[in-house]
Amino acid sequence: MYKLLLAALTSLLLAGCSDQSWRTTDVADIMPSLDFSLVDDNGDNVQADEYLGKPTLVYFGYTFCPDVCPITLARLGDAIRQLDDETRDEIQVLFISVDPARDTPEVLKRYTNAFGPEFTGLTGDKADIDAITNRYRIAYEYGEENENGDYLVTHSSAVFAFDREGNAQFLVRDSHPITDVQADIKRLTEKS
Amino acid sequence: MANKALNVTAQRVTQRLALSALALLLTAGVAQAQTQTLEVSNARLSLLPGNTPGAGYFELYNTGDEAVTLVGAKSPAFDSVEIHVSSEHDGMAHMHELTSIEIASGERFEFAPKGHHLMFMRRVEPLNIGDDVDVVLEFSDEQQLPVTFNVVSPASM
Ligand SMILES: [Cu+2]
Repeated sequence: MYKLLLAALTSLLLAGCSDQSWRTTDVADIMPSLDFSLVDDNGDNVQADEYLGKPTLVYFGYTFCPDVCPITLARLGDAIRQLDDETRDEIQVLFISVDPARDTPEVLKRYTNAFGPEFTGLTGDKADIDAITNRYRIAYEYGEENENGDYLVTHSSAVFAFDREGNAQFLVRDSHPITDVQADIKRLTEKS
Repeated sequence: MANKALNVTAQRVTQRLALSALALLLTAGVAQAQTQTLEVSNARLSLLPGNTPGAGYFELYNTGDEAVTLVGAKSPAFDSVEIHVSSEHDGMAHMHELTSIEIASGERFEFAPKGHHLMFMRRVEPLNIGDDVDVVLEFSDEQQLPVTFNVVSPASM
């Protein structure tokens, strides 16, 4: 028991002084840096390095998803908007579609606009989408089409955070308290 | 022997007829009585611009003595409405359709973000934030419960 307590205290102290650890899940050493070649929600071809200079949050989803995706983006938007203006203006959120057949730039633009100016939708050829999902070892899977031709997509649920240089830093899961997410986002904007 | 069997059948038919007549007479009243044992609150339809699907969230409170089974929903504002549940396993977000949900006597069942929801697909006409949408919840005992959903933006929930 005491040992456990001691261990807990030590890790708390370490977390307090260390530059390296995040309140959410630290992935700095296990995730590759930001790299992709996709199409943005204006229909322009874009490369990852065009997004460097600002801390970036990345979420993989699809617009036909009415529940998990919009709620995740809305909560992220809320978390960002509750921070001070400086932090807010620094952050950008990329919503990368894993359903390019339905998520055209036009559909994505209308969708991301609803969440705020910091949100950008990205889509592309299936091969380009696969290049980035493979890079981060993220799976996605299409369900069967119903009689209307509609289908659901199983996709990763985490939000990935990159620093200004595009280095992976932390990932946010549903289970992380919003205050931890906010603290990490704020620290990310203060970093370097 | 044959006569007797015939008689019994005739008797059964008469009984059945009487029962159906009674049932017919009572149907309206019974349906209403059952409806009153179900309370829906906080019904909102989370919707984005365009033609992407919406999610219906609400609380269904069964104040009756018996369990009820929700088997579907329909709305004149959408071509298709399904009962869905979202879940998360190993960092993956899943969503699938449910054919029914049983709500026990006295139970408050919540349709809430990232859990159970009504999935509204293919809107018939454009909808705006603040609009009211008529929805009918359908139960296994044939009862139909009309509910008004208020259109909200997920960004404001
Ligand atoms: Cu759904």
